[in-house]
Amino acid sequence: MQRFNFPVVQPDPALEELRSELQAFLKEERDAGNFRPEPECWMASSDTEFSKKMGKRGWIGLTWSSKYGGHDKTALERYIVTEETLRAGAPVGAHWIADRQHAPMLIEHGTEEQKLDILPRIAAGECYFAIGLSEPGAGSDLANVKTKAEKVEGGWKVNGQKIWSSGAHISHYMVAILRTSPADGRNRHVGLSQIMIDLSLPGVTIKPITDLSGDAHFNEVYFEDVIVPDDCLLGEEGGGWKQVTGELAMERSGPERFLSSYITLETALHQLQGKLGSDSQARLGKLIANLRTLRGMSWGIANLLHQGVSPETEAALVKDLGNRLENDLTLQVRALLNDLPEEEWSDEMRRILNIGILRSPPNTLRGGTTEVMRGITARQLGLR
Amino acid sequence: MINSEGMVAETAAKIYTDLCGREVPHEAEAGQYPQALWDALAENGLPLAWVSEDNGGFGADYDEVFGAIWVSAEAASPVPFAETLIANWLLDRAGVAIPDGASTFALLDGNAASVPFAGTADHVAVYDAGKNAIALYKTADGSAADGQALSPDSDTRLDFSTATPVASAATNLSRRAVEALILTVRAVQMASAIEAALNLSIAYVSDREQFGRPLSKFQAIQHQLAVAASESAAATMAATQAASALARNADDPEKAWHEAVVAKVQIGHSVEAVTVPFHQVHGAMGYTQEYDLHHYTRRLWAWRDTLGNEHRWSKLLGAELAVTSPDQIWKGVTTGAWIAS
Repeated sequence: MQRFNFPVVQPDPALEELRSELQAFLKEERDAGNFRPEPECWMASSDTEFSKKMGKRGWIGLTWSSKYGGHDKTALERYIVTEETLRAGAPVGAHWIADRQHAPMLIEHGTEEQKLDILPRIAAGECYFAIGLSEPGAGSDLANVKTKAEKVEGGWKVNGQKIWSSGAHISHYMVAILRTSPADGRNRHVGLSQIMIDLSLPGVTIKPITDLSGDAHFNEVYFEDVIVPDDCLLGEEGGGWKQVTGELAMERSGPERFLSSYITLETALHQLQGKLGSDSQARLGKLIANLRTLRGMSWGIANLLHQGVSPETEAALVKDLGNRLENDLTLQVRALLNDLPEEEWSDEMRRILNIGILRSPPNTLRGGTTEVMRGITARQLGLR
Repeated sequence: MINSEGMVAETAAKIYTDLCGREVPHEAEAGQYPQALWDALAENGLPLAWVSEDNGGFGADYDEVFGAIWVSAEAASPVPFAETLIANWLLDRAGVAIPDGASTFALLDGNAASVPFAGTADHVAVYDAGKNAIALYKTADGSAADGQALSPDSDTRLDFSTATPVASAATNLSRRAVEALILTVRAVQMASAIEAALNLSIAYVSDREQFGRPLSKFQAIQHQLAVAASESAAATMAATQAASALARNADDPEKAWHEAVVAKVQIGHSVEAVTVPFHQVHGAMGYTQEYDLHHYTRRLWAWRDTLGNEHRWSKLLGAELAVTSPDQIWKGVTTGAWIAS
């Protein structure tokens, strides 16, 4: 009996046509100087004008109904769009999280009014969401969140602080996990709820955090007596923990878990074609074999999710392997580049490589640290 | 795919369950060859699964035969089942009559070849890429050098320069087609062995206590096995992908070469990443002959050398990619179409 199962799904001609359209658009935009490629673009490169262009082309909101501004396609079309934009290092950070995570959440838990109001704006690339999970005292120990929502007439009063919220400074909403009732003794998983907060409400303060490279794409978000209407509680009151862990499990195997640094390799390959020595050829062969294998795993899981199957163990394994590969890729490129005299390195190559190195630490942190992933895997293996 | 539900795979599973319990590989190494296991496989015609119906086989699909190969590796098969399947595949395609009994395979380089199961198989089908020919020898006719074997079925260098083949024929099989088949079979065996050794490790650490609790409760142990599990899953993916490529290109196996090489490189490099933690969590017990772990780890150490080691194949793949356009490489990574069409 095989323990791990990954369907091998052949390329679909319709999807490959979509891929070609994306490639043509991305090349045009890049050649026109409308964006400069960067590694980790889905987290750290945002350009609202670019997001609106993606929206106009119909490449955001692929997975939901046209009734809500979507395009009645599937997560497989979305997969092709995301992997092509990652390969290009395009500035997709503004809309990424809303498109991936919060729109599906609204479709499942939102009111009809919210869906009609918000989803078309997300699909147009005009409305952005931030994640509100971590707090100063709640990182890997997420159940330790202290930010509170108290029941008041007609809604909830929110007090506390979230941290590491990527893109909150340009986002319209945050979906936060908040304590809506006390923990039940030692069981801290009860009494947590997911609440959508309009970031323009009085009492919300957003302070940027500068990362080690000098970029400011993540934030602290403070809430002081922020009054949120009742219908912004998404899902079940007290059911937030289950909802959040379910969502996290769904998003662990996407292309952003192993292709974030591919642009670094892509850029190097343009310079190195036909110039690699014997050792470097072996290095490249191994790297591409690893990438092909991970892409097979990720694509296989995407197809299972599409069929309604959620292979939680396999998804956690993809994230662990993929995050390691992303960082390894950058290091391998450094080695490959030795085959080119340094004066021949393009400025673009140096820029992208340096950004890749500086942006490598969060690869193995966000969306659940490597240590948390291994804990999850150990539980699935029956070890804990 | 690696299909465990076909008739071939299910028959193999039943035979291995009945006749290859955990004691059998131990007994085989002590000199007690499990003839009953081989006889059961042969009586059911399984070694002929890939042989065409015209040649006395049943021309089974790749998928379900890979399911059978998975099962045989899970049982640390002491009989050359996968090797006979490969030999008979080669002979059938060259139009050479299939000999009775167990066979093995080799690719000739110079006058000699590396032959797995040389001490067990009666015959060896030798592919000579230079002459585009397949020759069938009695393994006993090749002269072997003395040495230390990595595993009971590991390669022996046999010299055929003074041997006369039992039969030979020209073939239109390309070297890449032959490599695609051999590497894919090995990939399936290796993915299966890695998973079997993972299962053994999980069971061992759950049972063995130190400091008053099972080893499985120590985070250091959990994380080592979690990493090994990720490598195991990747190996299964790579093997499945290669198996599917072969099934899709049954008429032209050469087209499955790249996916087979990807599997060879992926799994070959992961052998160290799994055998180290597997042995580490077993402590000294895993180093004994008495315990079962070595049935898998020694085979993995031997199998990663099939047709040359993972470094050689990384280089072969990389040499081609080094002169391939970045667009075509991306196409290979995302769709498995490695050659411009």
